[in-house]
Amino acid sequence: MVSNTIDAEKMARLFLAGAKNLESKKEWINELNVFPVPDGDTGTNMTLTIMSAAKEVSSLYEMGDIDMQSLCKAISSGSLRGARGNSGVILSQLFRGFTKGVKEHEKITVPVIAGAFEKAVETAYKAVMKPKEGTILTVARGAAAKARELADNGTTDMAEFLRLIIERAEEVLAQTPEMLPVLKQAGVVDSGGQGLVLVLQGAYDAYMGKEVDLTISAEHTSAGASSGMTPNREAQANAEIKFGYCTEFIIMLNKVFNIKTELDFKAYLESIGDSIVVVADEDVVKVHVHTNDPGLAIQKALKYGALSNMKIDNMRLEHQEKLFKMSQKETAAAQPAPAADGPRKDVGFIAVSVGDGINEIFRDLGVDHIIEGGQTMNPSTEDMLNAIDQVNADSIFILPNNKNIILAANQAQSLVKDKKIVVVPTKTVPQGITAVINYVPDLSVEENADVMLKEISSVSTGQVTYAVRDTSIDGKDIRQGDFMGLGDAGILCVGTAISKVAMEMIDAMISDESELISIYYGSDITDEDAEALRAQVEEKYGSCDIELQYGGQPIYYYIVSVE
Amino acid sequence: MAKKIAVVTDSNSGITQAQGREMGVYVLPMPFMINEEVYYEDISLTQQQFYEKLAQGADVVTSQPTPDAVMKLWDEALQDHDELIHIPMSSSLSGSCQSAVMLAKEYDGRVQVADNQRISVTQRQSVLDALALAEQGMDAAGIRAFLEKDKLNSSIYIMLDTLYYLKKGGRITPAAAALGTILRLKPVLQIQGQKLDAFAKARTVSHGKSIMINAIRSDMEKRFGGADTDHVRLQIAYSHDLDAAEQFREEVQSHFPAFDIHMDPLSLSVSCHIGPGALAVACCMKSV
Repeated sequence: MVSNTIDAEKMARLFLAGAKNLESKKEWINELNVFPVPDGDTGTNMTLTIMSAAKEVSSLYEMGDIDMQSLCKAISSGSLRGARGNSGVILSQLFRGFTKGVKEHEKITVPVIAGAFEKAVETAYKAVMKPKEGTILTVARGAAAKARELADNGTTDMAEFLRLIIERAEEVLAQTPEMLPVLKQAGVVDSGGQGLVLVLQGAYDAYMGKEVDLTISAEHTSAGASSGMTPNREAQANAEIKFGYCTEFIIMLNKVFNIKTELDFKAYLESIGDSIVVVADEDVVKVHVHTNDPGLAIQKALKYGALSNMKIDNMRLEHQEKLFKMSQKETAAAQPAPAADGPRKDVGFIAVSVGDGINEIFRDLGVDHIIEGGQTMNPSTEDMLNAIDQVNADSIFILPNNKNIILAANQAQSLVKDKKIVVVPTKTVPQGITAVINYVPDLSVEENADVMLKEISSVSTGQVTYAVRDTSIDGKDIRQGDFMGLGDAGILCVGTAISKVAMEMIDAMISDESELISIYYGSDITDEDAEALRAQVEEKYGSCDIELQYGGQPIYYYIVSVE
Repeated sequence: MAKKIAVVTDSNSGITQAQGREMGVYVLPMPFMINEEVYYEDISLTQQQFYEKLAQGADVVTSQPTPDAVMKLWDEALQDHDELIHIPMSSSLSGSCQSAVMLAKEYDGRVQVADNQRISVTQRQSVLDALALAEQGMDAAGIRAFLEKDKLNSSIYIMLDTLYYLKKGGRITPAAAALGTILRLKPVLQIQGQKLDAFAKARTVSHGKSIMINAIRSDMEKRFGGADTDHVRLQIAYSHDLDAAEQFREEVQSHFPAFDIHMDPLSLSVSCHIGPGALAVACCMKSV
C-alpha cells in the first residue's frame, strides 16, 4: 500500500525527479518564447536554477540518512544562489517558501503540503515588484488554492491529492493565453508556468513509483564559460615551446590607440604568437608576446609610435628561468591588483555586460567588475554574489542592464549582509551607461540611487536583432531571419536589411526633445557599415549629438539610445 | 590717519595689466614655458597666441613668478604705499603662494600674503574685496585675516570640452583622473578652494550646463545664505570660445535674472590644464 506521507528521503527523490523532468524538456520550454528574439531562454534558466539545488540535494541523498531540515536548506539555498532569469528567481522563491512550510515536519502530510504551497506562493509574490498574472505565479497560485481546498475537504490520499493539484496547475496553465495577450498572439502558454508544471509532474511520477535516473552531473549548474583562467605555468613549462622569442617593448604612442586599434593589434599578435599581454595606458602601450618572428611585432608596433624598453629573449635557451620571471611580469601587467585586495572603497560598481567594446566602456567609466552576460546568458544570483565578493567596497551599485536579470540581482542583494547593495534596475546597456555616468561621488548612495533612477527613465533604447521564428506580433508579420528593431515597449519595425531597420528604428525613437543619439555596433557589423549609418543619422538629425561606439556585442547588430 | 594699502595679485585673477592700472591694482604676470621658451601672460603672450600654441600640441608648462619679479613689484608698490596685501592664486594649485609667504618675511609685516585658495573670477572678487576693505581703512594684516577667513565661501563649476588636457597635465585628484575617455563625455569639475576635482559627467553640453546651474544654485542656497543678490555674487569664466560663453551667460542670466554677472576669460594657468572650450560658473558669498 502506498503511504500517505512523504519523508525526507522520499522528498529528496521527488525533488530530483522534478528537476530531471524539467531538464529533459527544457528545449521545448525554450521554444515557448513570446518574442521571436534570441534571448535568455526560460527553459535553460529554470533548469540551471533547479539543477543548482539538485546538485546539493543529490550529494545529501548519496550520503543517505537525510533529515528534512538539511534537505530544505539544500533546496532553498541551492536554488536561491543558482537562480537565473526572472522565471528562475521566481522558481527559487517558490522553493524557498515551500521549504519554510515543510522543514519542521519529518513526515509530510496533505495539510502540510497545502500550507507549504501557500507559503510558496506568498513568498514568490513578495519577491516580484509588480506580479503579473498569466505567468508561473498564477499557475502556482492555482495549484496552491486547489491544495488548500482538498486539504480542507479532508483529503488524505496523497496520490489523489497530488494528481488533482497537477491537474489544476495544467488547467491554469492552459488559461494563461487568456490572461496575457502577448501569449495569445504568439499562440503559446506561459513558459515559466509550463516549467513549474513539468517539475510537479516529474515529482508526481516519481511518487507513483516511476523509475527515474537521479544522478546529477556537475556540468548542469554552470552554463557560462568559466572565468578566463591563466594557463597552468607548469604545464606550459613542460610543453614544447611553440614560439621561441619572448618579446617585450613599450610603444610611446603618437597615433590614436583606442579599443578598436587595441583589438586589431592584439589580433595581429595572435596571428604571429601567443602569451599576449597588451596594456594600454594614457600614452604608452606595454606589449608582451611570444613569437618566432619578433621583427613582425616590432614593425607593426612602429605604426603606432616610437618604441622603448625593448627586450627579446630566446626562450628555448633560457627556458625555465625566463618562464618564472615572465609569469611574474605577466601577472603584474595583466592584472593591475585584484579589486578585492585593494583598499576598501566607499562605493563600487558591478555591471552585467557582453561585448568587448561595451565592457571596455563600462570599465572606462569606473565599473569595478563586469559579469559577462546579457540577453542570451542570464547570470545567476550566485554569479552576482561572486562578483560582490570581488569588489571591496562598502556600497555596491549593480547594473543588471537587462530586464530578465534584475530579479536575480535583487535576490543577491537580499543575501548580502556585510555590504550595502543597490540594484539600479537598468533594463538595457544604454540605461546602465547613463546610470554610471550620472554617479556623483559627492552625493550619498541614496541620493545617487535617486538620481540614477530618474536619469535612466529618460533613456530610450532600441536594439536591432534577428527573428528566430515566424510569428505575428502587434500587427506585424515576422519571418524567421528578418531583422527587427526592438524598442522599450515592443517591436518598432521589421525588415530585411539591417541598416534600413536601424534607421527606421531610430526614426521611431526620436522626439523633439532628443539631444543625443548613441549607437553601439555589434560584433557582426563592419566599421564601414557603422560609419555609413552614422552618416545617415547625422544627415537626418543634424541638431542632435551623435556618438558612434564599437560595442562588440553579439545578437544585437546595433544598440541605440536616444536621450 | 589710515595707512595707505596697495593691492597686489597675479594674472590668474583674470585682471589684465590694463584693468589693473585702471583699478589701482598691481598685477604680477604668470610665466609660462612653451617649448622651453618663457612667456609672460598678458605681457609677451596673448590669449590668442596661447591657444594657438596649445592647439599645435606645444609643450606648455606653467611656472612660478621668480622671486626677483615678485620682490620688484612689491618694492615698486611700497614706494608710495605703507603696506601691501598680496593675493596669489590658490596654494592648492600652485607653489607661488608658498614662495610669496617666504619672501614676505623679509618685509617686516609690510607685505601680507593672503592664502585664500581662490582662482580666476573668485580670486578677482577677493581683489575687489581687498580694495574695498583698504578703502574702509583696514590694514594689510586685517585684510589678510579677513580674506583667509572668507576663503571657502566661493564655488566654481567648470565643464570641459575634452578630458585630454586634464589627463595630460596630471594636476587633478584621482577621482577626476578616473573619468572615462571612451565616450565623449563633458566632465564637470569643481573647485571648492582645493584642487580641481570631479563633480559630475554630462553627455551633452546642455546637460552639463544644467548640472552646473543646479549645483551653483544649491551652493547659494545651502552654503551661502540664499540665491539672491544680497548674499552672493555670480560670475562666469570660459576658455577661448567667447561666443559659447556669451550664450552661456544669457542662459545663466535667465536662471538668475536679478544678478549682474561678471564674465572673464579663464586665466591661462587654468586653461592650460583644461584646454579650450571650457565654461565655468562661479559664485562668491558677499562678504564685504
